[in-house]
Amino acid sequence: MQTSWLRHKGWTYGFRTTVLLYFVILIVLPIAGVYVYSFSEGWGPFWENVSDPIAWKAVLLTLGLALIATLINVLLGTMIAWVLVRYRFPGRTVLNSLVDLPFALPTAVGGLMILLLLGPNSWVGGVAERLGFDIVFHQPAIVIAMVFVTFPFVIRAIQPLLEEMDASAEEASYTLGASRAATFFRVILPQILPGIAGGAMLAFSRALAEFGAVVLVAGNIPAKTLTASVFIYGEVESDNNLGAAAVSVLLLTLSLVLLWFINRVQRRGGRE
Amino acid sequence: MRSRDRRTEVESVEHARRPGKPNKGFALIAAIALLGTLLSGCGTPESSADDSGGTAPKGDVTLVIGAYSVVKDSVQDIIPLFQKKWKEETGQTVTFQESYEASGTQARAIVGGFEADVALLSLEGDIDKLTKAKLVDKDWKDKPDGGMITRSVVAIGTREGNPLGIKNFADLAKPGVKVLYPNPKTSGGAQWDINAIYGAGLKESERETGQKDPAFAKAFLESVHANIESLDKSGRASMAAFEYGVGDALVTYENELLTRNKQGGKYEVIVPDDTILIENPAAVVDANVDKHGTREVAEAFVDFLWSQQAQKVFAENGFRPVNDAVYKEFASDYPVPPGLFDIKYLGGWKEVRESLYSKRGVWYQVLAGI
Repeated sequence: MQTSWLRHKGWTYGFRTTVLLYFVILIVLPIAGVYVYSFSEGWGPFWENVSDPIAWKAVLLTLGLALIATLINVLLGTMIAWVLVRYRFPGRTVLNSLVDLPFALPTAVGGLMILLLLGPNSWVGGVAERLGFDIVFHQPAIVIAMVFVTFPFVIRAIQPLLEEMDASAEEASYTLGASRAATFFRVILPQILPGIAGGAMLAFSRALAEFGAVVLVAGNIPAKTLTASVFIYGEVESDNNLGAAAVSVLLLTLSLVLLWFINRVQRRGGRE
Repeated sequence: MRSRDRRTEVESVEHARRPGKPNKGFALIAAIALLGTLLSGCGTPESSADDSGGTAPKGDVTLVIGAYSVVKDSVQDIIPLFQKKWKEETGQTVTFQESYEASGTQARAIVGGFEADVALLSLEGDIDKLTKAKLVDKDWKDKPDGGMITRSVVAIGTREGNPLGIKNFADLAKPGVKVLYPNPKTSGGAQWDINAIYGAGLKESERETGQKDPAFAKAFLESVHANIESLDKSGRASMAAFEYGVGDALVTYENELLTRNKQGGKYEVIVPDDTILIENPAAVVDANVDKHGTREVAEAFVDFLWSQQAQKVFAENGFRPVNDAVYKEFASDYPVPPGLFDIKYLGGWKEVRESLYSKRGVWYQVLAGI
């Protein structure tokens, strides 16, 4: 065969080596580097940096707000995915392609839009101010920014499951006299649950790390509106790299545990 | 479950196809190409500067400027003036590569390998980072005015007509005033703002008790900080937030406010009686000019920053000129507040860095509420 050189075993090895190299250079090395660096002066300084009240309060706040953002995205995302898959209406394909836009937009631009649309000079901001609560530079704005940047995850995780879903199970449920709610919760939801869980985990870990949009719309006041990513940025800017690495390790470990957990959930879903 | 089964099916099909060739070859080439661009991408911008700098002195030269963002408009006005002058004197055409970043970020970039020939930074401490990295000689302050090219003062910006009647930093501590200033942790330039408030507290204590009382000054800073609405990333971010309608007052450089007003902003620029004199340095990055062979033109450019021409550009862009003759021309725009103090009043930069901005310093205590 003319193409026999293409069958050469070397390709397989070459390809695998390249992929592994990639993985090591782009992912393993930087992450391992952060871990090694943060412990480079031993446990003492690491602990000192992590136990700084400004640091751990920032991490705690970020966890809380990311959780809220994820819950919102799970609810909204499931509904949007449902509408996009199950309903036919003019503009559906356009909407469907708009879903990914938050990924394409620089997050700082997203933050700027939130400032413009929800700031005190805007219509919404004005109403909120009269009602006595602030959006921009307070916690609501951080949640909105997180929801914005993680918007596509849940939708895109559920959509294929909904599309693949076998209509006969649903039909059988109705034929057997189940209500719409019962059908949704007992037939449909279990099938899309792995997608919801996977999407939610991704959204959550992405929200933990969000910086560009959050730094613009948050007041960055310790214990109130200072998120972990902004805190880390501040430590780097003020030449406390060790402190930055220590808090990064905290966030990274959380994300690693989460991702491992997603994998488990999804694999278990696959076995069922 | 059925959907799951189907997914595993797809996977197994792909598995079976793995020994298939054309795909793999293409992927491999793509991967190598990507890796190549990744590795070479890092070095390119600097190497171009190397080439032009290394050519014979009679040819054209390229000067790389690393500056802090606020000075951008002024530098871009000064560059054509310098190009004209240099051309007349030597016949050489100077092309400029400019980079504008927050001062601390810029200093770190230069230390990290960004080969700037000339550095314009917002505070002495950032040039010190370069001397510490042995990029700038220790004698950079032997220039006129101690190496400082511009001055300014820390001022308070309020809404049009100053509805809350704010006159000094103490007024910012009044109940209900929403205050903005950047965090010195994320913006080195913001150290000036905090120095101003802290120093105003020292002045106050000196008037009352006859000596500077750091505890009083810290309490003064805390009382202002209690009204903080947003601790922004940078002076620019503070200004932007203020423009979007957040807050009643912001603490920032006078030049920042004047620039904004020139562009159509309608803010009152309040210069408190007690405030700090800001001084911004410029220096030739010795290690880089020697490497590029651009010392002569770099020195000439930095010296040009003190010329009447350049100082006038600075003055028009809201800075207080260091040149006396030019300052006299603009004196009515830049009145000297009666209680003006400089960094030496706080004990100099070294002392300020240790007492205010060290790991558990005064600023940390104010932030953490200790």
